[in-house]
Amino acid sequence: MKVELKKGATLKMPTHCLSLARGEGNQFYASCFDGGIYSVPDTRWKKPVRLAEHQNYASGVNWSPTTRHLVSAGYDGRLVWTNPDEKKITREVKAHDFWSWQSAISPDGTRIASSTGQYLCGGHKYEPAPEKEPSVKVFEVHTGKQTHAFEHVPPVESVAFSNNGKFLAAGNLMGEVRVWDLTTGTEAARIKTANFTGWGIIKGHYFTGGVFALAFSPDDSEIFLAGMGSTRDPAAGNGKQLWERWKWQGGKVEKTGSANDGEIGQGLMETLAFHPGGKIFAMAGRLFKGQWNTAIFDLETGSRLAQADTKMRVSKAIWNEEGSRLYLAGSSGQPKERKDLEKPDWGRVKVLEVEIS
Amino acid sequence: MSRKQQDCGNPEHGLHRRRFLEGMTAGAISSLSWSGLFSNPAFAETARKQQKRCILLWLCGGPSQFETWDPKPGTSTSGPFGSIPTSIPGIHFSELMPKCASIAHRTAVIRSMKTSAREHTQAINLLQRGHKPRPPFTRPTLGSVLSQQLGQLGSSIPNFILLDPCPEGNEFKGFKAGNWAGWLGAQYSPVRTGGEFRIPHVNKLDSITEGDHEAREELRSFFSKKFENDTRSEAASSHNAVYERVKGLMSCAHLFDLERLPRKDRDRYGPGTFGQHTLLARTLVEEGAPFVMVANGMPWDCHVFNHEIYQMVVPDLDNIIYQLHCDLEERGMLEDTLVVAMGEFGRTPWLNAARGRDHYPNAWSLTMFGSGIAEGAVVGATDKLGFDVTGQAYDEQNLFATIFAALGINPHTEFNIPTLPDFHYVEDNSEPIKEVLA
Repeated sequence: MKVELKKGATLKMPTHCLSLARGEGNQFYASCFDGGIYSVPDTRWKKPVRLAEHQNYASGVNWSPTTRHLVSAGYDGRLVWTNPDEKKITREVKAHDFWSWQSAISPDGTRIASSTGQYLCGGHKYEPAPEKEPSVKVFEVHTGKQTHAFEHVPPVESVAFSNNGKFLAAGNLMGEVRVWDLTTGTEAARIKTANFTGWGIIKGHYFTGGVFALAFSPDDSEIFLAGMGSTRDPAAGNGKQLWERWKWQGGKVEKTGSANDGEIGQGLMETLAFHPGGKIFAMAGRLFKGQWNTAIFDLETGSRLAQADTKMRVSKAIWNEEGSRLYLAGSSGQPKERKDLEKPDWGRVKVLEVEIS
Repeated sequence: MSRKQQDCGNPEHGLHRRRFLEGMTAGAISSLSWSGLFSNPAFAETARKQQKRCILLWLCGGPSQFETWDPKPGTSTSGPFGSIPTSIPGIHFSELMPKCASIAHRTAVIRSMKTSAREHTQAINLLQRGHKPRPPFTRPTLGSVLSQQLGQLGSSIPNFILLDPCPEGNEFKGFKAGNWAGWLGAQYSPVRTGGEFRIPHVNKLDSITEGDHEAREELRSFFSKKFENDTRSEAASSHNAVYERVKGLMSCAHLFDLERLPRKDRDRYGPGTFGQHTLLARTLVEEGAPFVMVANGMPWDCHVFNHEIYQMVVPDLDNIIYQLHCDLEERGMLEDTLVVAMGEFGRTPWLNAARGRDHYPNAWSLTMFGSGIAEGAVVGATDKLGFDVTGQAYDEQNLFATIFAALGINPHTEFNIPTLPDFHYVEDNSEPIKEVLA
């Protein structure tokens, strides 16, 4: 298989985009630092339209086809339901006392999950303190009613539904992924990997990193994890650009592969996205050192098939419906000049044209 | 014992600096230079008698003013943390500091620090020594000067203690390996310990008796002192100073043992190493140590993961400062103990591409409380986005002058070392930040 990436449109957004969602007809929506939920323009000549807002960073936006609503989450700990056609908020639910780090919607659009948890000092080596509230919650999209509350060790940075909608996985700072059976409400598996977490030897004695992104393989037999490889300097961001894959079913948890050392550089990887065709996946984030911040990998072999450096920190990657474009949301940081700092146009959605042969 | 109780009943406080100031008319104060104030011999003697002490919580790496003492809620530079009201009407701290907010009226905050060094090595030196380098001379650090001024000759407990449980620390590691005491000499260098970096070899061997041990030391001391005097050797002088220090350490090694501290106290300060060593600092000043510096590597240098790390380290610091204030007050030590919490600079108003904040010396904050400090003082301000100081800015020299003044030391004292040019504790007649002083 051959994959080629070409630079496509660059769309200006008000502030850093933490998340993207694809609605009907390849309409994309973004959640931004300024708390706004925006419709992403389809050309650089248009401006994003603000649809809803959170009282703090908007960390996630999700499209529910069954209700034709957006369900967003934010650092205000709230879930917000928005009708994008009417630009109207229809429901708000207080989900957490702290941030919603990440949110995910079930493939059928009926359930929304959100993860939370503040990193607080819990030990001599600054191990995370136990949670003060359930770190992962699931709500019905139709009603806003909470259906599940799961325990984890905060902060829980990532959450994902299985493709069949029956399982939920959530990963934390310490590299622990818990998988729950949503039918029974019980824990189905627990993955532990030390490879995404750094403990500061050089600058400070605390933990950084963790599992920033999770995705089930198309057949749900494996869970893919992404983040940054362990580093001695927790504040440098110079760990490996890393993904790992784990088998998790049948009572046996086993690592089955990871990114090849020769194909990766250094930097935090924040997002994973499986291609609609199910044979390749994208991983993207920030480049610290190396050649790319976005790469396409072969699902079967794990080999890197294509790469690009989009010159920004990518927080979310998502394919268009046809799988011919990869949308990347993020920014290159705030402007450093005082006069520019208050201009809300430093977020970006960049599009890569993808040719697969 | 509360401040009020102390003021009412203790005759030792009859000549306290605060009383001295209160006894003067406002006009008299305003017409005096600070040098003039400190030239009063009664004042200086009084300050020395009071056994002033200082704890420096060294927030190495450069803490963000936005996530601590100078939040900018609702602006493009605020980051994701909000602000909360403090016990001073109209003054807000970061929401990560609820405990410090509750005692804001008992502490002082300076929001208008503006310094020149934007890299760690230069900035650490600047904020530890109080002045830019002037090669080939090495200016002593604040701790070295204070250990000389506040310490007791022959004290068994070291006059300058550095507690640093993180032995590494990039540029700070380099600084730690350098010359702390400068022209004052090795006897004013810190005794360094903390975490796994313990003081080695301070226990007398069981194989020799106490008498033998003392006899050997007397013999060593006799020859070594003779050599020092005969050759006027600075190296021998430093060597002898180290031996004197080791003798002291052997007698007080137990004071450095965290395990001996009550569990309930250790729990209050939190389980992290910074809190535990701040508690140790409190016990050491209680035992007579005049200057203790607590560091913990460079945890505040968050070019990446800024919010992810600050959500943990700031609440940790918040609790530590609060517990320390409560303890010093409860023990009646607040009047005589100055606590300063600061780093070498602040952080940028903007978030970089990694969503971190970079070094920023242009406008930053710190806090201090205790000896000689005006309670509830909030000095200076920054503009709407935190880009620059509005009004009067203060630099490292003003800060050092303030610290010296708060401890009853004339900031403009000349170092009395014949082989040196005219150096002063603080140069250029830089004045203390008067609003911070009680």
